[in-house]
Amino acid sequence: MPRKAASKGPQLTGYRRPNGAVGVRNHVLILPVDDLSNAAAEGVARLIHGTTALPHPYGRLQFGADLELTFRTLSGHGANPNVHGVVVIGIEPKWTDRVASAIAKTGKPVETFSIERHGDLNVINAASRVAYRMAQDASELKREPIQVSELVLSIKCGESDPTLGLAGNKAQGRVVDRLVDMGASVIFGETSELTGGEHLIANRCATPALRRKFMQIYNDYIRMIEAQGVDLLGSQPTEGNIRGGLSTIEEKALGNIQKTGTRPIQAVLDYAEPVKPGQGLVFMNSSSAGAEQVTLCAAGGSVLHFFTTGQGNIVGHPLIPVIKISPNPITCSTMSEHIDVKLPDLLVGDIDLDQAADRILEVFARTVNGRLTAAELLRHNEFVITKLYPSA
Amino acid sequence: MAHRALAHKSTDDVAVAVADLKAGEELVIHSLEGGKVHRVKLLEDIPLGHKIALRDMPEGHVVIEYGEKVGRMTQPVKKGGYVHVHNIRTLRWDYGSKGKGQKPRAKGGQ
Repeated sequence: MPRKAASKGPQLTGYRRPNGAVGVRNHVLILPVDDLSNAAAEGVARLIHGTTALPHPYGRLQFGADLELTFRTLSGHGANPNVHGVVVIGIEPKWTDRVASAIAKTGKPVETFSIERHGDLNVINAASRVAYRMAQDASELKREPIQVSELVLSIKCGESDPTLGLAGNKAQGRVVDRLVDMGASVIFGETSELTGGEHLIANRCATPALRRKFMQIYNDYIRMIEAQGVDLLGSQPTEGNIRGGLSTIEEKALGNIQKTGTRPIQAVLDYAEPVKPGQGLVFMNSSSAGAEQVTLCAAGGSVLHFFTTGQGNIVGHPLIPVIKISPNPITCSTMSEHIDVKLPDLLVGDIDLDQAADRILEVFARTVNGRLTAAELLRHNEFVITKLYPSA
Repeated sequence: MAHRALAHKSTDDVAVAVADLKAGEELVIHSLEGGKVHRVKLLEDIPLGHKIALRDMPEGHVVIEYGEKVGRMTQPVKKGGYVHVHNIRTLRWDYGSKGKGQKPRAKGGQ
């Protein structure tokens, strides 16, 4: 892929990790392997400034592909370039070490604690002393100049309405084209919400093999829904979509895919598989629920997420900034504190798509350089693991 | 230019209101990709984000938006009328005009 320097706009800065991966935030992560370890992880995060816990309800008696996805999601968050170092806490040592060893391949500091034969209080004591040192080390790391071509990014839209297909997603599509042309990787997903436009995505896959893989993932997802004896009509479009003016899933999908821009799809991945910079536009299998999809992208290595919204989805993530973009004037005025980039003037034609893309990229550069997003300021720390089936 | 409504393609069957619109308004509707301009008198109030029929459509008509099929009319609509879930339905899990409650027959592959 081309590795062009950004020809205009401000210099971007970030954190270069031991394996060369580049992040735009500098978290110390306290990672519970299972539900039982949430209390100790949150205990450490409350004690030590500059640390973030990721509590979640899973990690016990899972098996097969569902267990692998939980492991991949947890270790992917530890490996995410926005993270300086990780304290992994689990109820027993074996699965704890498994999650930690996957993170340790990045070369970043990782230490593990298990609760059996020690108890929460001893673990919180020992883990807090490690977290103390990691947080102090992280505080002395300096931002350095980086290139767009070193970044993995991701996109989604939510609480969609036709203002996205007309304006917001079209502008985001132009942003995606520019970022891909500069060498970034950009992940999109929302498998079931491509229904009605899946042929357009299939036709953009770079090779016949990728096209077959994409259609297999898409058809498997729809079969999984139909195997429940239902269709998507009760949930797609959502009540929020309908209120905003979307009438059918096809209409929603055609608006949705505007944000993927026009470049070829260079990779087709399953849930939370790792993405490297320089891969271009990447499809990742995912739910279309906001927090699940953003979590899968972060597990795959995304360091920043663009989220276009019509009616006002307010999702965030604990480790990656989520830039919220809306062209809907009602949403921008009634939910102003949630929207980072407001585009009602694009909707009525007062500015054009290139001016709108410039506005998004300006906020992108400031956010990369440390400006807090609306979701970060409002503590929208949604971390939602995708569960494939019940535990044993 | 302050648009009141926009179509994706000039050949589409519907356009989208980009402001809250009132019955009786006479609109000049451009499309994002250029081409023919539609002149439409609204028959109903249509809120921001919702769809306007750009031509008369009978029941069963397959509706085109973005130049693609987005659903089927379940009732006729006149040019300038309101198109939404009361009169348009998805083509996926399409039960036709009388087969409500049948098993889904779309396979999702096309």
